[in-house]
Amino acid sequence: MIEALFNQPGYLAAKKTLDAVALRQEAVANNIVNLETPGYKRVDLAPAFQTELERACASGDARQIASLNPTLAPDPNAVASSLDGNSVHLENELMQLNQNSTTHALETELVSNMLSRMRLAITGKS
Amino acid sequence: MIQILAGIQNTTAALQAEQTRLNVISENIANANTAHGVDGKPYQRQVVVFATALQQAMNADGSTATPALKVASIEKDTRDPVQIYDPGNPDADARGMISMPNINIHEEMADLISASRTFEANLAVVKNSRSMAMQTLAIGKH
Repeated sequence: MIEALFNQPGYLAAKKTLDAVALRQEAVANNIVNLETPGYKRVDLAPAFQTELERACASGDARQIASLNPTLAPDPNAVASSLDGNSVHLENELMQLNQNSTTHALETELVSNMLSRMRLAITGKS
Repeated sequence: MIQILAGIQNTTAALQAEQTRLNVISENIANANTAHGVDGKPYQRQVVVFATALQQAMNADGSTATPALKVASIEKDTRDPVQIYDPGNPDADARGMISMPNINIHEEMADLISASRTFEANLAVVKNSRSMAMQTLAIGKH
């Protein structure tokens, strides 16, 4: 495969964001699963990922973007609202779920557009 | 098998657990007036105990294992039967009291609503994951 074709920073960043969105979907799904589990602490993407992605994008270095790896971590800011120590709030999670799927729609659209632009450049017709 | 929908196994487990809870609640409501249970005593309220089963298999990328939900057991509520004054009842004792199940219908209804809301929330996750998977499959189709 011609590596350079798929090494633009924008394309890589969109792919990484898609990875993060998929992982976040898993986190939110699990938070909703454990809505009534005593002592459960909500999980989310590790907050470091976003700052690292921003820094890597600002540097414009494709390798730096490609080396990023989103992970899940317990949310340190979540406060338990009930006596059983569970820090999941249903309305909050549903909001996150919808935000996540909107981000996903945006990113898939971006990736699709980049691919079709590349096809246009190669063939001269889209 | 490849996983098209991320995190969906845990959601399925939760849907099954909530279904069990709904069944137990309906059993409690159905037996709210059962003065003679299988053992001859008044019916005892049942409660579902949930537990998280930590997924043993770590994810391939080494991320945190996410706990799945399962029904640990169905326990009997140990509260005493309710005593009702009904001297005409054939079961009444010398003081005219009979023992009725320890079921509070309001409590069961509140529990029922809570269980069905949790079920709906999990279903929303499934629908959302599905539409995201469809979008992913449509990448490059223009």
